[in-house]
Amino acid sequence: MDWLSSSPVTWYDALVVFLWGVVLMLVVLGFVTYAIYFERKVIGWMQYRQGPNRVGPLGLLQSVADILKLLIKEDTIPRKADRLLFVFAPVLAFIPSFAVLAVIPYTQKLYFADLNVGLLYYVALSGISTLAIVLGGWASNNKYALLGGMRSAAQMISYEVPLVISVTGVVMMSGTLNLRGIVDAQSGGWFWDWNFLPQIIGFAVFVVAAISELNRTPFDLPEAESELVAGYHVEYSGFRFAFFMLTEYVYVYAIAGLATTLFLGGWHAPAPFLDFIPGIIWFALKFAFIVFFLFWLRATLPRIRIDQLMGLGWKLLLPLSLVNIFLTALFYELFQR
Amino acid sequence: MKGMLKGMGVTLKALTAPKVTTSYPDTPYMMPERYRGIQHFIPELCIVCNQCARICPTECITLTGKPNPDPEKKGKVIDTFDLNFEICILCDLCTEVCPTEAIVMTGNFELAAYSRDELYKDREWLTDNNTRVREDNNNIGAPQKGGAK
Repeated sequence: MDWLSSSPVTWYDALVVFLWGVVLMLVVLGFVTYAIYFERKVIGWMQYRQGPNRVGPLGLLQSVADILKLLIKEDTIPRKADRLLFVFAPVLAFIPSFAVLAVIPYTQKLYFADLNVGLLYYVALSGISTLAIVLGGWASNNKYALLGGMRSAAQMISYEVPLVISVTGVVMMSGTLNLRGIVDAQSGGWFWDWNFLPQIIGFAVFVVAAISELNRTPFDLPEAESELVAGYHVEYSGFRFAFFMLTEYVYVYAIAGLATTLFLGGWHAPAPFLDFIPGIIWFALKFAFIVFFLFWLRATLPRIRIDQLMGLGWKLLLPLSLVNIFLTALFYELFQR
Repeated sequence: MKGMLKGMGVTLKALTAPKVTTSYPDTPYMMPERYRGIQHFIPELCIVCNQCARICPTECITLTGKPNPDPEKKGKVIDTFDLNFEICILCDLCTEVCPTEAIVMTGNFELAAYSRDELYKDREWLTDNNTRVREDNNNIGAPQKGGAK
């Protein structure tokens, strides 16, 4: 989309950009629908069950039916809720989750926005969703929702820090914040040129912090369906609840895309002789593996306690990510100059 | 950490392991050989001894007999035999006590109905309930005819 910066924007250009946005939206909605289906299937298989298999062939329409059910539900707003904020919170949660997808490059050619500060843009926008969760919890005027919102704010803020610091090592290695640049810096031909091996500490911290950012098991304390009532979205139903769920799964998409580009070499093949397979396939494979890994974790691990969560974030992940920065800097100072 | 990896291994193995669930309503579920399902009644064998009605803990069996239509034979033949599945607990006592095995258990278990009235099963219905009839009707090893020596 280089023509955008070179010539004045016409209505036609705006229309094209808008249509590409719609295409991405449809892709993401398709992903969310089948991520939910796949998650339920995988967890079912791991628990010696079949998973959904009634609606449509192999249960493929199960999530479609679920979403349809959510959309035709009665839309309730508690009488004493802060109406404006209550309505606004799901929207505010969803917009940044979709906006961050703009910077994720799929292949050398296929990307939406080529920002020089792509990584920074991602981190900055994804922080806004925390605000939306607190807002939703506050506006519901419900003690459980407020507690859930506070919990998730505490969790997301304390894990945002190690998440950002853990990717600093990657930025130092590639010398750019541009996500395409970061992927290009990993183009050695072999999989050990990808960042996840040289940055193994950073990668480990990133994975843990990312799962926590996504509020997924074992860090799903904000929702904790078996302990709290439902966390910050107790009072939400129908369409608005669907938006919170959508946000969650769009972030799964975003984090899987981000992990692929930052640590797993984006569209690069793991070995030079596999180069004939197009980059988009490699991207999709790595992406799918990360998504599967998240579901796999969910099927395996129990939820941790709130004090363990905070302890892990501040006492282990933060020092580790700082150590990672210093080790990277030391390595570059000693061997690369 | 080691425990976590172990757990991940367990779930990964379970991913491809055979599943324990069955597609029951689609394919009939075969109960084991000795299952105590809905009774099958054989009127020709019944001698109207009333033992089943007497032993029944929930008193769900009601039966009446009539004199044998063949004047040369003694005894009675069954006239009506009603079983109330609203209260029957399928305890196996009626089949255990029956001296002629005129009432036996089957492997069938589907009794759901829209109305309570449908749960009163009569002689014809019980006679027609003749699939998957239990073979071994003395699985507790009770002494047979003549009693213990």
